Amino acid sequence: MSKTRSFLENVVIVAIVLVLIQTFLEDLAIVLGWTIGAREALMLAGFFFDVFFTIEFLTRSYDAFRDRRFAQYLWVDRGWIDFLAAVPLLIFNSGPSVIAWYIGGVAVGGSGGMMNVLKVVKAIRIARILRLLRVLKIFRRIKNTESVMAQRHLATISAMVVTVFVFVLLVLSVGGAAVTLPTLDHTYQQQVSSAVDHIESEQLAEAGNEAELARFADTHPGIIAVEQAGTVRYSRYDQAYLSENYRPIDYTVLQQAGTEVFVDLTPINREQAVDNLRYFLIIVSIVLVLMLVYSPHFALTVSDPIHVMRRGMAEKNYRLEVRVPRQYRDDDVYRLAQEYNRVYLPMKDREAAAEDSGGTSGLTMGDVKDLFE
Amino acid sequence: MNSESEKADAFVGRLLQNPALNGFSALQQEEQIVQFLHGNAAQLAPTLSSSQFFPGKNWNQIFALLVSRLTEAINRTLFADLQRILTENVDYTFVELLGQQRVNTDAIPRELLQLMKKLLEKQEARRAFTGPFTALHFGLADQYVNEIFSRKSYIHFELTKVQRLRMGKEEVQNFLQISLLLKPSVFLISAGGQSQQDRATGMVQNQFAEKVLGVLKKELRSVPEQVLQSAVHSSVSFNANRFIEATARLAAILGARGKSYQANVKVDRGADSPDKSWLSTARRNYKFYGFDIKMLDELYKIAAENVW
Repeated sequence: MSKTRSFLENVVIVAIVLVLIQTFLEDLAIVLGWTIGAREALMLAGFFFDVFFTIEFLTRSYDAFRDRRFAQYLWVDRGWIDFLAAVPLLIFNSGPSVIAWYIGGVAVGGSGGMMNVLKVVKAIRIARILRLLRVLKIFRRIKNTESVMAQRHLATISAMVVTVFVFVLLVLSVGGAAVTLPTLDHTYQQQVSSAVDHIESEQLAEAGNEAELARFADTHPGIIAVEQAGTVRYSRYDQAYLSENYRPIDYTVLQQAGTEVFVDLTPINREQAVDNLRYFLIIVSIVLVLMLVYSPHFALTVSDPIHVMRRGMAEKNYRLEVRVPRQYRDDDVYRLAQEYNRVYLPMKDREAAAEDSGGTSGLTMGDVKDLFE
Repeated sequence: MNSESEKADAFVGRLLQNPALNGFSALQQEEQIVQFLHGNAAQLAPTLSSSQFFPGKNWNQIFALLVSRLTEAINRTLFADLQRILTENVDYTFVELLGQQRVNTDAIPRELLQLMKKLLEKQEARRAFTGPFTALHFGLADQYVNEIFSRKSYIHFELTKVQRLRMGKEEVQNFLQISLLLKPSVFLISAGGQSQQDRATGMVQNQFAEKVLGVLKKELRSVPEQVLQSAVHSSVSFNANRFIEATARLAAILGARGKSYQANVKVDRGADSPDKSWLSTARRNYKFYGFDIKMLDELYKIAAENVW
């Protein structure tokens, strides 16, 4: 591997670690109600990482395509993880968030009227789940064992577990959006819709009904503000508070006749963020268990004994026996190892003695190369 | 650098400094370098016969020159090490405990060193001495005898009750060291008529051993006969003679172990420790090498318990 490539691979690893931290913090910021500045910084960082990983995916794809091994990159080298953990996120998650932020700013009644925020929020919420796949990227890059076979097996198992988990969540989210289920999301929407209907039917947004509107809206925490024909009839908070705490994806606007009701989405977003943190922690825990518990177990019971036997067969001077743990002695690998210890090594030893070759030297031509220069 | 000897010395010196040879005794290093020269002759020959190194010489001449310089360099280390072992490490009071009160112990190291210098001029003796010397160099005898005396099991019984060594642990260690040192003495006279297996294992027949013993007695007048017997019998198969001294059987095993011993070797995960592995293989080949299986069993347990 060239120095530049090695440097870039290290940059990618650092970026993966940072994006995992960013993913965690972005949801944590919603749950803990961090300031809009901090949340926007995290959102922009997420956008930057999605752009970075999309470029990484395109670069690797181009490189693989040029070497005519694109299919291998995509399926064998798990390029699909690179794809899913970057491109859809850029298109459906961080991209729309940044656009909404850029166009709408933080003004009340701004972007809400210009785009269907609710649809965007749903797309973002569903696409967000794909961010969990990023855990697999770090798992694939970090060489936690020297055995290529062990790495591949562990990467396959973790990819299967994490991908199935993520796609089940994804299906449930898409299904949840299509089917009416008694979720917090749905209940909240129903409450807000009936409140909006009530405002409209009772003409509470009309001029002169401000006091009654305020009384009604105060009992419905989902309503942030009510406008009619561009005039603010009710606002739960002052402009400064709204600017500091509400991003475009934190609210939506429901229009009925000439009335615009600004609905608070932060309870739903917070619920989703809590779920995301749970999923994130579940996936990180699964991957950590695979790395820290299953990986050594795989090494102990499969790759290490094979490595010792391979060296014993390939190197003349290598005569170490395979250590056979009592509890695994009936495993196929250890039964083979017992034969290796019992038959092969003694035979190798006798043959070496008969040849009187004394084995091979630990010195190589490379050790004297500079003498000849 | 002008003379060919200087060039050869520089080349050999460079090889000896290679980190790949760390953890080997001087004689093991010599073997490694000779194997390197043999194994890479095709690549080395064109370069070393060029005008820059040894112009006009063929590979056989270059090889002979390099090996002679190597032997000289190794001898400097080897004999200094032997001198140190014989004068500083070994305490000869065990000789008196063998019932030889009138022995001049001062003469023993001198006689031994003299004999070793003579013996090690012979290539086959030199090769056979690699294992015993490595065992001495890395103190394998001391290490195992300490454990043998703390376990007081089969080997201890053989040493103290069967061989009747009325001496302590340190004296047995010294006895064993001299047995190891003199193990290649079977090459004092030409073996001849050795079977293929004997050549592979370095073992000799009983009658030949008795012949060697006769010669050795004349060479080493200050060394008690029991010690000489132990040294010579360490090259006799236990299958052929069930009455071989315990020190001889132990020296045979430790000498063979020393052949492939390497200090501070990094053990792969999933592999057994070097001594345990070697002893396990030796247990399966005990008939081939003529070792005492019960001794191997005990040494194997010691190695396993101590992760040697």
